[in-house]
Amino acid sequence: MSIKVKNVNYTYSEGTAYEIHALKDVNLEILDGQFVGLIGHTGSGKSTLIQHLNGLIRATEGKIYFNGRDIYGEKYPLKELRSKVGLVFQYPEYQLFETDVLKDVCFGPKNLGYSQEEAEKKAKEALRMVGMGEEYDQSSPFELSGGQKRRVAIAGVLAMEPEVLILDEPTAGLDPRGRDEILDQISYLKRERGITVILVSHSMEDVARYVDRLIVMNQGQVRFDGTPREVFRHYQELREIGLDAPQVTYLMKSLKEKGAHVDVDATTVEEAADAIAAWLKERE
Amino acid sequence: MIRDITLGQYYPAKSILHELDPRVKLAATMIFVISLFVARSPVGYGLATIFLVLVIRMSKVPFRFMTKGLKSIIMLLMITVAFNLFLVDGNTLWRLGFLRITDKGVQTAVMVGIRLIYLILGSSVMTLTTTPNDLTDGLEKAMEPLKKFYIPLGPLKKFRIPVHDMAMIMSIALRFIPILLEETDKIMKAQMARGADFESGNLIQKAKAMVPLLAPLFLSAFRRAMDLALAMEARCYRGGEGRTKMKPLKYESRDRTAYGVILGYFLIVTAIERGVQIYGWIVALPGRWMAVYQWILSFL
Ligand SMILES: Nc1ncnc2c1ncn2[C@@H]1O[C@H](COP(=O)(O)OP(=O)(O)OP(=O)(O)O)[C@@H](O)[C@H]1O
Ligand SMILES: [Mg+2]
Repeated sequence: MSIKVKNVNYTYSEGTAYEIHALKDVNLEILDGQFVGLIGHTGSGKSTLIQHLNGLIRATEGKIYFNGRDIYGEKYPLKELRSKVGLVFQYPEYQLFETDVLKDVCFGPKNLGYSQEEAEKKAKEALRMVGMGEEYDQSSPFELSGGQKRRVAIAGVLAMEPEVLILDEPTAGLDPRGRDEILDQISYLKRERGITVILVSHSMEDVARYVDRLIVMNQGQVRFDGTPREVFRHYQELREIGLDAPQVTYLMKSLKEKGAHVDVDATTVEEAADAIAAWLKERE
Repeated sequence: MIRDITLGQYYPAKSILHELDPRVKLAATMIFVISLFVARSPVGYGLATIFLVLVIRMSKVPFRFMTKGLKSIIMLLMITVAFNLFLVDGNTLWRLGFLRITDKGVQTAVMVGIRLIYLILGSSVMTLTTTPNDLTDGLEKAMEPLKKFYIPLGPLKKFRIPVHDMAMIMSIALRFIPILLEETDKIMKAQMARGADFESGNLIQKAKAMVPLLAPLFLSAFRRAMDLALAMEARCYRGGEGRTKMKPLKYESRDRTAYGVILGYFLIVTAIERGVQIYGWIVALPGRWMAVYQWILSFL
Protein backbone atom coordinates (compact mmCIF):
# COMPACT_ATOMS: atom_id res chain seq x y z
CA MET A 1 0.00 0.00 0.00
CA SER A 2 1.77 3.11 -1.16
CA ILE A 3 2.07 5.84 -3.72
CA LYS A 4 4.94 5.34 -6.10
CA VAL A 5 6.15 8.08 -8.42
CA LYS A 6 8.44 6.83 -11.17
CA ASN A 7 10.52 9.06 -13.45
CA VAL A 8 7.82 11.67 -13.65
CA ASN A 9 8.33 14.69 -15.88
CA TYR A 10 5.82 17.43 -16.36
CA THR A 11 5.80 20.39 -18.72
CA TYR A 12 3.20 23.15 -18.58
CA SER A 13 1.91 24.48 -21.92
CA GLU A 14 4.05 22.07 -23.86
CA GLY A 15 4.96 23.21 -27.34
CA THR A 16 4.21 26.88 -26.78
CA ALA A 17 6.24 29.99 -26.01
CA TYR A 18 5.28 29.66 -22.37
CA GLU A 19 6.67 26.18 -21.88
CA ILE A 20 7.75 25.47 -18.28
CA HIS A 21 9.46 22.25 -17.29
CA ALA A 22 7.94 22.04 -13.80
CA LEU A 23 8.97 18.51 -12.79
CA LYS A 24 12.18 16.79 -13.83
CA ASP A 25 12.55 13.07 -13.36
CA VAL A 26 10.92 12.79 -9.94
CA ASN A 27 11.11 9.44 -8.13
CA LEU A 28 9.40 8.89 -4.80
CA GLU A 29 7.71 6.25 -2.75
CA ILE A 30 5.33 7.28 -0.02
CA LEU A 31 4.47 4.48 2.38
CA ASP A 32 1.33 3.95 4.39
CA GLY A 33 1.03 5.93 7.59
CA GLN A 34 3.89 8.29 6.92
CA PHE A 35 3.68 11.97 7.81
CA VAL A 36 5.59 13.56 4.97
CA GLY A 37 6.63 17.19 4.70
CA LEU A 38 7.22 18.67 1.27
CA ILE A 39 9.19 21.88 1.17
CA GLY A 40 10.82 23.99 -1.50
CA HIS A 41 11.27 27.52 -2.71
CA THR A 42 8.29 29.13 -4.43
CA GLY A 43 7.97 27.76 -7.97
CA SER A 44 9.91 24.59 -7.17
CA GLY A 45 7.03 22.36 -8.31
CA LYS A 46 5.43 21.26 -5.04
CA SER A 47 1.86 22.02 -6.07
CA THR A 48 2.47 20.47 -9.47
CA LEU A 49 3.79 17.27 -7.90
CA ILE A 50 0.92 16.76 -5.49
CA GLN A 51 -1.67 17.25 -8.22
CA HIS A 52 -0.13 14.26 -9.94
CA LEU A 53 -0.76 12.06 -6.94
CA ASN A 54 -4.54 12.09 -7.36
CA GLY A 55 -4.51 12.18 -11.13
CA LEU A 56 -5.58 15.80 -11.64
CA ILE A 57 -2.52 16.39 -13.77
CA ARG A 58 -1.25 13.70 -16.08
CA ALA A 59 2.51 13.36 -16.22
CA THR A 60 4.07 14.20 -19.57
CA GLU A 61 6.42 11.28 -18.97
CA GLY A 62 6.69 8.62 -16.30
CA LYS A 63 4.31 6.54 -14.22
CA ILE A 64 2.45 6.72 -10.95
CA TYR A 65 1.32 3.68 -9.00
CA PHE A 66 -1.28 3.76 -6.25
CA ASN A 67 -1.33 0.57 -4.19
CA GLY A 68 0.60 -1.11 -6.95
CA ARG A 69 -1.74 -0.16 -9.79
CA ASP A 70 -0.74 2.14 -12.63
CA ILE A 71 -3.13 5.11 -12.44
CA TYR A 72 -2.63 5.88 -16.12
CA GLY A 73 -3.75 2.38 -17.02
CA GLU A 74 -6.88 1.96 -19.08
CA LYS A 75 -10.13 1.94 -17.10
CA TYR A 76 -8.42 3.06 -13.90
CA PRO A 77 -11.16 4.65 -11.76
CA LEU A 78 -9.79 8.16 -11.32
CA LYS A 79 -12.78 9.30 -9.30
CA GLU A 80 -12.13 6.56 -6.77
CA LEU A 81 -8.48 7.54 -6.66
CA ARG A 82 -9.49 11.11 -5.88
CA SER A 83 -11.59 9.96 -2.97
CA LYS A 84 -8.74 7.85 -1.60
CA VAL A 85 -6.12 10.51 -2.12
CA GLY A 86 -7.73 13.64 -0.69
CA LEU A 87 -6.16 16.87 -1.89
CA VAL A 88 -6.70 20.19 -0.15
CA PHE A 89 -5.56 23.02 -2.40
CA GLN A 90 -3.78 26.22 -1.50
CA TYR A 91 -6.42 28.70 -0.28
CA PRO A 92 -9.15 26.03 -0.35
CA GLU A 93 -11.76 28.49 0.95
CA TYR A 94 -12.16 29.72 -2.65
CA GLN A 95 -13.85 26.45 -3.57
CA LEU A 96 -16.78 26.88 -1.17
CA PHE A 97 -20.05 27.44 -2.98
CA GLU A 98 -23.04 26.09 -1.06
CA THR A 99 -25.54 28.07 0.96
CA ASP A 100 -24.55 26.49 4.24
CA VAL A 101 -21.51 24.82 5.73
CA LEU A 102 -23.01 21.37 6.11
CA LYS A 103 -24.22 21.22 2.51
CA ASP A 104 -20.82 22.28 1.26
CA VAL A 105 -19.04 19.54 3.17
CA CYS A 106 -21.61 17.02 1.90
CA PHE A 107 -20.59 17.78 -1.69
CA GLY A 108 -17.68 15.30 -1.67
CA PRO A 109 -19.45 12.27 -0.13
CA LYS A 110 -22.50 12.85 -2.34
CA ASN A 111 -20.31 12.84 -5.42
CA LEU A 112 -19.07 9.46 -4.26
CA GLY A 113 -22.63 8.21 -4.32
CA TYR A 114 -23.53 8.26 -0.61
CA SER A 115 -27.12 8.91 0.37
CA GLN A 116 -28.14 12.23 1.95
CA GLU A 117 -28.09 10.78 5.50
CA GLU A 118 -24.76 9.05 5.10
CA ALA A 119 -23.24 12.13 3.51
CA GLU A 120 -24.49 14.31 6.36
CA LYS A 121 -23.14 11.90 8.93
CA LYS A 122 -19.72 11.92 7.32
CA ALA A 123 -19.84 15.70 6.90
CA LYS A 124 -20.69 16.25 10.56
CA GLU A 125 -17.93 13.92 11.64
CA ALA A 126 -15.43 15.76 9.44
CA LEU A 127 -16.56 19.16 10.68
CA ARG A 128 -16.14 18.15 14.33
CA MET A 129 -12.76 16.72 13.51
CA VAL A 130 -11.49 20.08 12.26
CA GLY A 131 -12.97 21.76 15.31
CA MET A 132 -16.08 23.32 13.77
CA GLY A 133 -18.92 23.07 16.27
CA GLU A 134 -22.53 22.26 15.49
CA GLU A 135 -23.52 25.93 15.76
CA TYR A 136 -21.87 26.60 12.40
CA ASP A 137 -23.60 23.84 10.43
CA GLN A 138 -26.29 26.11 9.07
CA SER A 139 -24.24 29.28 8.60
CA SER A 140 -23.26 30.51 5.19
CA PRO A 141 -19.63 29.65 4.47
CA PHE A 142 -19.09 33.23 3.37
CA GLU A 143 -19.87 34.66 6.80
CA LEU A 144 -17.06 32.74 8.47
CA SER A 145 -13.60 34.04 9.29
CA GLY A 146 -10.65 33.09 7.10
CA GLY A 147 -9.47 30.36 9.46
CA GLN A 148 -12.94 28.91 9.80
CA LYS A 149 -13.43 28.85 6.03
CA ARG A 150 -10.15 26.99 5.74
CA ARG A 151 -11.36 24.39 8.24
CA VAL A 152 -14.63 23.92 6.41
CA ALA A 153 -12.74 23.42 3.15
CA ILE A 154 -10.45 20.85 4.77
CA ALA A 155 -13.50 19.11 6.21
CA GLY A 156 -14.91 19.00 2.68
CA VAL A 157 -12.05 16.71 1.70
CA LEU A 158 -11.95 14.77 4.98
CA ALA A 159 -15.62 13.88 4.63
CA MET A 160 -14.66 11.62 1.72
CA GLU A 161 -12.56 9.63 4.23
CA PRO A 162 -9.37 9.53 2.20
CA GLU A 163 -6.55 7.11 2.95
CA VAL A 164 -4.01 9.75 2.02
CA LEU A 165 -4.49 13.40 2.88
CA ILE A 166 -2.48 15.97 1.00
CA LEU A 167 -2.53 19.57 2.17
CA ASP A 168 -1.03 22.38 0.12
CA GLU A 169 0.10 25.04 2.57
CA PRO A 170 -2.91 24.68 4.83
CA THR A 171 -1.68 27.46 7.10
CA ALA A 172 -0.86 30.16 4.51
CA GLY A 173 -2.24 33.50 5.61
CA LEU A 174 -3.35 32.36 9.08
CA ASP A 175 -2.24 33.88 12.37
CA PRO A 176 0.13 31.84 14.61
CA ARG A 177 -2.69 30.53 16.75
CA GLY A 178 -4.87 29.45 13.82
CA ARG A 179 -1.81 27.85 12.30
CA ASP A 180 -1.00 25.80 15.40
CA GLU A 181 -4.61 24.74 15.82
CA ILE A 182 -4.92 23.46 12.28
CA LEU A 183 -1.59 21.63 12.37
CA ASP A 184 -2.38 20.08 15.76
CA GLN A 185 -5.70 18.90 14.41
CA ILE A 186 -4.06 17.38 11.37
CA SER A 187 -1.53 15.49 13.44
CA TYR A 188 -4.32 14.34 15.78
CA LEU A 189 -6.25 13.13 12.76
CA LYS A 190 -3.28 11.26 11.50
CA ARG A 191 -2.84 9.41 14.78
CA GLU A 192 -6.57 8.82 15.15
CA ARG A 193 -7.29 7.47 11.67
CA GLY A 194 -3.85 6.20 10.82
CA ILE A 195 -3.92 7.91 7.44
CA THR A 196 -0.95 9.04 5.40
CA VAL A 197 -0.43 12.81 5.40
CA ILE A 198 1.58 14.90 2.98
CA LEU A 199 2.03 18.46 4.13
CA VAL A 200 3.34 21.16 1.82
CA SER A 201 4.77 23.97 3.84
CA HIS A 202 7.04 26.98 3.80
CA SER A 203 7.71 26.89 7.51
CA MET A 204 10.70 24.82 8.63
CA GLU A 205 9.58 25.04 12.25
CA ASP A 206 6.23 23.47 11.36
CA VAL A 207 7.61 20.57 9.40
CA ALA A 208 10.34 19.90 11.95
CA ARG A 209 7.73 19.63 14.64
CA TYR A 210 5.20 17.40 12.92
CA VAL A 211 6.60 15.29 10.12
CA ASP A 212 8.72 12.17 10.20
CA ARG A 213 9.96 12.43 6.66
CA LEU A 214 10.99 15.52 4.75
CA ILE A 215 11.26 15.93 0.99
CA VAL A 216 13.00 19.02 -0.35
CA MET A 217 12.31 20.16 -3.90
CA ASN A 218 14.34 22.56 -5.98
CA GLN A 219 13.59 23.62 -9.54
CA GLY A 220 11.40 20.63 -10.23
CA GLN A 221 13.74 18.05 -8.75
CA VAL A 222 13.87 16.21 -5.44
CA ARG A 223 16.97 17.50 -3.71
CA PHE A 224 16.84 15.86 -0.27
CA ASP A 225 14.68 13.10 1.16
CA GLY A 226 15.02 11.89 4.74
CA THR A 227 14.10 12.58 8.34
CA PRO A 228 14.04 16.25 9.32
CA ARG A 229 17.25 15.71 11.28
CA GLU A 230 19.07 14.30 8.28
CA VAL A 231 17.79 16.99 5.96
CA PHE A 232 18.53 19.93 8.22
CA ARG A 233 22.09 18.72 8.58
CA HIS A 234 22.48 20.15 5.07
CA TYR A 235 21.54 23.61 6.27
CA GLN A 236 24.20 25.23 4.10
CA GLU A 237 22.95 23.63 0.88
CA LEU A 238 19.41 24.50 1.93
CA ARG A 239 20.46 28.14 2.14
CA GLU A 240 21.72 27.98 -1.43
CA ILE A 241 18.31 26.91 -2.71
CA GLY A 242 16.54 29.62 -0.78
CA LEU A 243 15.48 27.63 2.28
CA ASP A 244 16.42 27.88 5.94
CA ALA A 245 16.75 25.24 8.59
CA PRO A 246 14.73 25.87 11.77
CA GLN A 247 16.19 28.67 13.85
CA VAL A 248 17.23 26.32 16.65
CA THR A 249 19.51 24.51 14.21
CA TYR A 250 21.50 27.71 13.80
CA LEU A 251 21.47 28.30 17.55
CA MET A 252 22.86 24.84 18.24
CA LYS A 253 25.52 25.30 15.57
CA SER A 254 26.77 28.52 17.12
CA LEU A 255 26.67 27.02 20.61
CA LYS A 256 28.84 24.21 19.34
CA GLU A 257 31.23 26.67 17.73
CA LYS A 258 31.50 28.47 21.05
CA GLY A 259 32.63 25.21 22.64
CA ALA A 260 29.43 23.75 24.05
CA HIS A 261 29.09 19.98 23.62
CA VAL A 262 25.51 19.89 22.41
CA ASP A 263 23.69 17.73 19.89
CA VAL A 264 23.63 19.91 16.77
CA ASP A 265 20.91 17.86 15.10
CA ALA A 266 18.13 19.24 17.27
CA THR A 267 15.37 20.53 15.02
CA THR A 268 12.64 21.58 17.42
CA VAL A 269 12.74 23.91 20.41
CA GLU A 270 11.99 21.01 22.77
CA GLU A 271 14.82 18.89 21.43
CA ALA A 272 17.16 21.84 21.67
CA ALA A 273 16.13 22.52 25.26
CA ASP A 274 16.72 18.88 26.15
CA ALA A 275 20.11 18.90 24.47
CA ILE A 276 21.19 22.05 26.29
CA ALA A 277 19.93 20.72 29.62
CA ALA A 278 21.83 17.48 29.07
CA TRP A 279 24.98 19.36 28.31
CA LEU A 280 24.60 21.60 31.40
CA LYS A 281 24.08 18.55 33.57
CA GLU A 282 27.13 16.90 32.10
CA ARG A 283 29.25 19.97 32.89
CA GLU A 284 28.33 20.09 36.54
CA MET B 1 -6.38 22.41 -20.83
CA ILE B 2 -8.42 25.56 -20.49
CA ARG B 3 -5.40 27.74 -21.15
CA ASP B 4 -5.19 26.56 -24.73
CA ILE B 5 -7.69 29.14 -25.91
CA THR B 6 -5.63 31.56 -27.98
CA LEU B 7 -8.14 34.01 -29.36
CA GLY B 8 -7.19 37.28 -27.69
CA GLN B 9 -3.85 36.03 -26.48
CA TYR B 10 -0.53 37.58 -27.16
CA TYR B 11 2.40 35.58 -28.51
CA PRO B 12 5.70 37.24 -27.66
CA ALA B 13 8.16 37.32 -30.57
CA LYS B 14 10.34 39.79 -32.41
CA SER B 15 8.83 40.62 -35.77
CA ILE B 16 7.92 43.65 -37.85
CA LEU B 17 4.28 42.97 -37.13
CA HIS B 18 4.87 43.06 -33.39
CA GLU B 19 6.51 46.46 -33.72
CA LEU B 20 3.83 48.09 -35.85
CA ASP B 21 1.60 50.75 -34.36
CA PRO B 22 -1.61 49.11 -33.09
CA ARG B 23 -3.71 51.56 -35.11
CA VAL B 24 -2.14 50.26 -38.30
CA LYS B 25 -2.92 46.70 -37.31
CA LEU B 26 -6.51 47.55 -36.39
CA ALA B 27 -7.07 49.34 -39.69
CA ALA B 28 -5.33 46.61 -41.65
CA THR B 29 -7.44 43.89 -40.04
CA MET B 30 -10.58 45.82 -40.91
CA ILE B 31 -9.46 46.33 -44.51
CA PHE B 32 -8.53 42.67 -44.81
CA VAL B 33 -11.96 41.63 -43.57
CA ILE B 34 -13.64 43.94 -46.08
CA SER B 35 -11.43 42.55 -48.83
CA LEU B 36 -12.73 39.07 -47.99
CA PHE B 37 -16.23 40.26 -48.82
CA VAL B 38 -15.11 42.08 -51.95
CA ALA B 39 -13.40 38.93 -53.21
CA ARG B 40 -15.75 36.60 -55.08
CA SER B 41 -13.61 34.95 -57.69
CA PRO B 42 -10.93 32.27 -57.20
CA VAL B 43 -8.37 34.89 -58.22
CA GLY B 44 -9.51 37.25 -55.45
CA TYR B 45 -9.41 34.43 -52.89
CA GLY B 46 -6.02 33.37 -54.16
CA LEU B 47 -4.73 36.86 -53.57
CA ALA B 48 -6.19 36.96 -50.05
CA THR B 49 -4.55 33.59 -49.36
CA ILE B 50 -1.15 34.77 -50.53
CA PHE B 51 -1.46 37.94 -48.49
CA LEU B 52 -2.52 36.04 -45.37
CA VAL B 53 0.25 33.46 -45.70
CA LEU B 54 2.87 36.18 -46.14
CA VAL B 55 1.60 38.08 -43.11
CA ILE B 56 1.55 34.94 -40.95
CA ARG B 57 5.08 34.16 -42.10
CA MET B 58 6.17 37.67 -41.19
CA SER B 59 4.59 37.53 -37.73
CA LYS B 60 6.94 34.70 -36.65
CA VAL B 61 4.07 33.15 -34.72
CA PRO B 62 4.01 29.37 -35.27
CA PHE B 63 1.11 28.36 -37.50
CA ARG B 64 -0.13 25.93 -34.83
CA PHE B 65 -1.07 28.94 -32.72
CA MET B 66 -3.23 30.45 -35.41
CA THR B 67 -5.17 27.26 -35.91
CA LYS B 68 -5.86 26.98 -32.20
CA GLY B 69 -8.16 29.99 -32.52
CA LEU B 70 -10.02 28.07 -35.22
CA LYS B 71 -10.82 25.20 -32.90
CA SER B 72 -13.09 27.42 -30.83
CA ILE B 73 -15.28 28.25 -33.85
CA ILE B 74 -15.33 24.85 -35.46
CA MET B 75 -18.97 24.27 -34.48
CA LEU B 76 -20.08 27.59 -35.88
CA LEU B 77 -18.09 26.91 -39.02
CA MET B 78 -19.65 23.50 -39.57
CA ILE B 79 -23.18 24.77 -39.03
CA THR B 80 -22.70 27.68 -41.42
CA VAL B 81 -21.19 25.48 -44.08
CA ALA B 82 -23.94 22.87 -43.68
CA PHE B 83 -26.67 25.50 -43.98
CA ASN B 84 -25.21 26.85 -47.18
CA LEU B 85 -24.55 23.40 -48.54
CA PHE B 86 -28.13 22.17 -48.14
CA LEU B 87 -30.24 25.29 -48.46
CA VAL B 88 -28.88 27.14 -51.47
CA ASP B 89 -30.85 26.62 -54.69
CA GLY B 90 -29.23 25.53 -57.93
CA ASN B 91 -28.71 22.48 -60.09
CA THR B 92 -29.11 19.39 -57.96
CA LEU B 93 -25.97 17.28 -57.68
CA TRP B 94 -27.10 14.83 -55.04
CA ARG B 95 -30.37 14.15 -53.28
CA LEU B 96 -31.51 12.11 -50.28
CA GLY B 97 -35.09 12.58 -49.14
CA PHE B 98 -35.62 16.28 -48.52
CA LEU B 99 -31.86 16.93 -48.42
CA ARG B 100 -30.18 17.98 -51.59
CA ILE B 101 -26.88 19.46 -52.54
CA THR B 102 -26.64 21.81 -55.49
CA ASP B 103 -23.67 23.12 -57.44
CA LYS B 104 -24.41 26.64 -56.22
CA GLY B 105 -24.69 25.32 -52.66
CA VAL B 106 -21.25 23.73 -52.82
CA GLN B 107 -19.84 26.93 -54.24
CA THR B 108 -21.30 29.19 -51.53
CA ALA B 109 -20.48 26.74 -48.74
CA VAL B 110 -16.84 26.66 -49.77
CA MET B 111 -16.75 30.42 -50.11
CA VAL B 112 -18.39 31.09 -46.76
CA GLY B 113 -16.15 28.52 -45.07
CA ILE B 114 -13.00 30.10 -46.48
CA ARG B 115 -14.26 33.55 -45.54
CA LEU B 116 -14.89 32.55 -41.92
CA ILE B 117 -11.54 30.79 -41.57
CA TYR B 118 -9.63 33.73 -43.05
CA LEU B 119 -11.57 36.12 -40.85
CA ILE B 120 -10.48 34.30 -37.70
CA LEU B 121 -6.93 33.83 -38.95
CA GLY B 122 -6.67 37.51 -39.86
CA SER B 123 -7.89 38.76 -36.51
CA SER B 124 -5.76 36.15 -34.70
CA VAL B 125 -2.69 37.64 -36.39
CA MET B 126 -3.61 40.98 -34.90
CA THR B 127 -4.30 39.77 -31.36
CA LEU B 128 -1.30 37.44 -31.34
CA THR B 129 1.11 40.22 -32.31
CA THR B 130 -0.38 43.03 -30.21
CA THR B 131 -0.39 43.16 -26.42
CA PRO B 132 -3.84 43.87 -24.98
CA ASN B 133 -2.55 47.17 -23.66
CA ASP B 134 -1.35 48.30 -27.06
CA LEU B 135 -4.63 47.21 -28.55
CA THR B 136 -6.72 49.38 -26.26
CA ASP B 137 -4.28 52.26 -26.63
CA GLY B 138 -4.76 51.99 -30.35
CA LEU B 139 -8.54 51.83 -30.01
CA GLU B 140 -8.61 54.81 -27.71
CA LYS B 141 -6.49 56.84 -30.07
CA ALA B 142 -8.55 55.76 -33.06
CA MET B 143 -11.74 56.76 -31.27
CA GLU B 144 -10.36 60.14 -30.21
CA PRO B 145 -12.24 62.13 -32.87
CA LEU B 146 -15.45 60.91 -31.22
CA LYS B 147 -14.62 63.02 -28.19
CA LYS B 148 -15.51 66.18 -30.14
CA PHE B 149 -19.14 65.16 -30.48
CA TYR B 150 -21.54 65.67 -27.63
CA ILE B 151 -25.23 65.80 -26.87
CA PRO B 152 -26.28 68.93 -24.96
CA LEU B 153 -28.27 68.01 -21.83
CA GLY B 154 -29.08 71.50 -20.63
CA PRO B 155 -27.10 74.74 -20.50
CA LEU B 156 -24.01 73.46 -18.71
CA LYS B 157 -24.21 69.74 -19.11
CA LYS B 158 -22.98 67.92 -22.13
CA PHE B 159 -22.94 64.24 -22.76
CA ARG B 160 -19.76 63.16 -24.44
CA ILE B 161 -18.87 59.69 -25.54
CA PRO B 162 -16.65 58.38 -22.70
CA VAL B 163 -13.86 57.25 -24.98
CA HIS B 164 -11.21 56.92 -22.31
CA ASP B 165 -13.48 55.02 -19.94
CA MET B 166 -14.51 52.66 -22.68
CA ALA B 167 -10.91 51.94 -23.50
CA MET B 168 -10.07 51.44 -19.83
CA ILE B 169 -12.98 49.04 -19.36
CA MET B 170 -11.84 47.10 -22.36
CA SER B 171 -8.23 46.86 -21.29
CA ILE B 172 -9.28 45.67 -17.84
CA ALA B 173 -11.66 43.14 -19.33
CA LEU B 174 -8.91 41.82 -21.58
CA ARG B 175 -6.51 41.67 -18.67
CA PHE B 176 -9.03 39.66 -16.67
CA ILE B 177 -9.54 36.96 -19.29
CA PRO B 178 -6.35 34.98 -18.57
CA ILE B 179 -6.74 35.58 -14.83
CA LEU B 180 -10.25 34.21 -14.83
CA LEU B 181 -9.23 31.28 -17.01
CA GLU B 182 -6.53 30.41 -14.52
CA GLU B 183 -9.00 30.75 -11.68
CA THR B 184 -11.47 28.50 -13.50
CA ASP B 185 -8.78 25.91 -13.91
CA LYS B 186 -7.95 26.05 -10.21
CA ILE B 187 -11.54 25.84 -8.96
CA MET B 188 -12.32 23.08 -11.42
CA LYS B 189 -9.42 21.04 -10.10
CA ALA B 190 -10.36 21.73 -6.50
CA GLN B 191 -13.91 20.49 -7.11
CA MET B 192 -12.66 17.50 -9.08
CA ALA B 193 -10.55 16.62 -6.05
CA ARG B 194 -13.87 16.48 -4.19
CA GLY B 195 -15.27 14.07 -6.72
CA ALA B 196 -17.03 16.55 -9.00
CA ASP B 197 -17.58 15.40 -12.56
CA PHE B 198 -17.77 18.04 -15.28
CA GLU B 199 -17.75 15.73 -18.28
CA SER B 200 -20.34 13.00 -18.09
CA GLY B 201 -24.10 13.18 -17.78
CA ASN B 202 -26.82 14.73 -19.91
CA LEU B 203 -27.25 18.43 -20.57
CA ILE B 204 -29.19 19.17 -17.38
CA GLN B 205 -26.74 17.24 -15.22
CA LYS B 206 -23.88 19.06 -16.89
CA ALA B 207 -25.50 22.45 -16.27
CA LYS B 208 -26.05 21.51 -12.64
CA ALA B 209 -22.43 20.42 -12.32
CA MET B 210 -21.40 23.94 -13.29
CA VAL B 211 -22.76 25.50 -10.08
CA PRO B 212 -19.80 24.46 -7.90
CA LEU B 213 -17.58 26.02 -10.55
CA LEU B 214 -19.49 29.19 -11.37
CA ALA B 215 -20.44 30.29 -7.86
CA PRO B 216 -16.86 30.51 -6.58
CA LEU B 217 -15.76 31.96 -9.92
CA PHE B 218 -18.24 34.84 -9.75
CA LEU B 219 -17.33 35.51 -6.15
CA SER B 220 -13.69 35.63 -7.01
CA ALA B 221 -14.33 37.87 -10.03
CA PHE B 222 -16.21 40.35 -7.85
CA ARG B 223 -13.54 40.22 -5.20
CA ARG B 224 -10.85 40.90 -7.78
CA ALA B 225 -12.83 43.72 -9.33
CA MET B 226 -13.28 45.31 -5.93
CA ASP B 227 -9.60 44.95 -5.10
CA LEU B 228 -8.67 46.49 -8.42
CA ALA B 229 -11.04 49.43 -7.94
CA LEU B 230 -9.54 50.04 -4.53
CA ALA B 231 -6.00 49.83 -5.84
CA MET B 232 -6.83 52.26 -8.65
CA GLU B 233 -8.39 54.74 -6.26
CA ALA B 234 -5.48 54.44 -3.89
CA ARG B 235 -3.31 55.57 -6.78
CA CYS B 236 -5.57 58.53 -7.45
CA TYR B 237 -7.12 57.30 -10.68
CA ARG B 238 -9.86 59.75 -11.64
CA GLY B 239 -10.69 58.93 -15.23
CA GLY B 240 -9.26 60.24 -18.48
CA GLU B 241 -9.42 64.00 -17.76
CA GLY B 242 -5.93 65.46 -18.08
CA ARG B 243 -4.31 62.04 -18.09
CA THR B 244 -1.20 61.73 -20.21
CA LYS B 245 0.51 58.67 -21.59
CA MET B 246 3.92 57.40 -20.67
CA LYS B 247 4.43 56.11 -24.19
CA PRO B 248 2.22 58.12 -26.56
CA LEU B 249 1.53 56.41 -29.86
CA LYS B 250 3.48 57.88 -32.75
CA TYR B 251 3.60 56.78 -36.36
CA GLU B 252 6.99 55.69 -37.71
CA SER B 253 8.00 55.25 -41.31
CA ARG B 254 7.33 51.49 -41.11
CA ASP B 255 3.74 52.26 -40.14
CA ARG B 256 3.29 54.41 -43.22
CA THR B 257 4.77 51.64 -45.36
CA ALA B 258 2.34 49.18 -43.79
CA TYR B 259 -0.61 51.42 -44.60
CA GLY B 260 0.69 51.56 -48.16
CA VAL B 261 0.95 47.78 -48.40
CA ILE B 262 -2.52 47.05 -47.06
CA LEU B 263 -4.14 49.73 -49.24
CA GLY B 264 -2.21 48.42 -52.24
CA TYR B 265 -3.48 44.91 -51.51
CA PHE B 266 -7.03 46.14 -51.20
CA LEU B 267 -6.88 48.10 -54.46
CA ILE B 268 -5.50 45.10 -56.33
CA VAL B 269 -8.21 42.80 -54.99
CA THR B 270 -10.92 45.30 -55.92
CA ALA B 271 -9.41 45.88 -59.33
CA ILE B 272 -9.18 42.16 -60.00
CA GLU B 273 -12.76 41.58 -58.96
CA ARG B 274 -13.83 44.44 -61.22
CA GLY B 275 -11.64 43.01 -63.96
CA VAL B 276 -13.25 39.61 -63.53
CA GLN B 277 -16.66 41.22 -63.75
CA ILE B 278 -15.80 43.17 -66.90
CA TYR B 279 -14.14 40.12 -68.41
CA GLY B 280 -17.21 38.05 -67.68
CA TRP B 281 -19.38 40.71 -69.26
CA ILE B 282 -17.26 40.77 -72.42
CA VAL B 283 -17.20 36.99 -72.63
CA ALA B 284 -20.96 36.91 -72.31
CA LEU B 285 -21.30 39.58 -74.98
CA PRO B 286 -21.63 37.40 -78.15
CA GLY B 287 -24.33 35.37 -76.41
CA ARG B 288 -26.23 38.53 -75.57
CA TRP B 289 -25.95 39.81 -79.09
CA MET B 290 -27.25 36.45 -80.25
CA ALA B 291 -30.24 36.81 -77.97
CA VAL B 292 -30.98 40.30 -79.21
CA TYR B 293 -30.52 39.11 -82.78
CA GLN B 294 -32.93 36.24 -82.25
CA TRP B 295 -35.38 38.53 -80.50
CA ILE B 296 -35.37 40.85 -83.51
CA LEU B 297 -35.63 37.84 -85.83
CA SER B 298 -38.72 36.66 -84.01
CA PHE B 299 -40.52 39.81 -85.15
CA LEU B 300 -39.64 39.33 -88.73
N1 LIG C 1 -1.27 26.29 -14.43
C1 LIG C 1 0.00 26.58 -14.76
N2 LIG C 1 0.33 26.90 -16.03
C2 LIG C 1 1.59 27.19 -16.37
N3 LIG C 1 2.62 27.16 -15.54
C3 LIG C 1 2.38 26.84 -14.25
C4 LIG C 1 1.06 26.54 -13.80
N4 LIG C 1 1.10 26.25 -12.48
C5 LIG C 1 2.40 26.38 -12.13
N5 LIG C 1 3.18 26.73 -13.18
C6 LIG C 1 4.65 26.91 -13.18
O1 LIG C 1 5.25 25.69 -12.79
C7 LIG C 1 6.31 25.92 -11.87
C8 LIG C 1 6.05 25.16 -10.59
O2 LIG C 1 4.89 25.69 -9.98
P1 LIG C 1 4.25 25.14 -8.64
O3 LIG C 1 2.93 25.82 -8.48
O4 LIG C 1 4.25 23.66 -8.68
O5 LIG C 1 5.27 25.66 -7.55
P2 LIG C 1 5.16 25.59 -5.96
O6 LIG C 1 6.38 24.87 -5.50
O7 LIG C 1 3.86 25.05 -5.54
O8 LIG C 1 5.28 27.11 -5.54
P3 LIG C 1 4.56 27.91 -4.34
O9 LIG C 1 5.37 27.64 -3.12
O10 LIG C 1 4.70 29.34 -4.76
O11 LIG C 1 3.16 27.44 -4.25
C9 LIG C 1 6.39 27.42 -11.70
O12 LIG C 1 7.44 27.89 -12.50
C10 LIG C 1 5.07 27.94 -12.17
O13 LIG C 1 5.22 29.20 -12.75
MG1 LIG D 1 2.14 25.87 -4.59
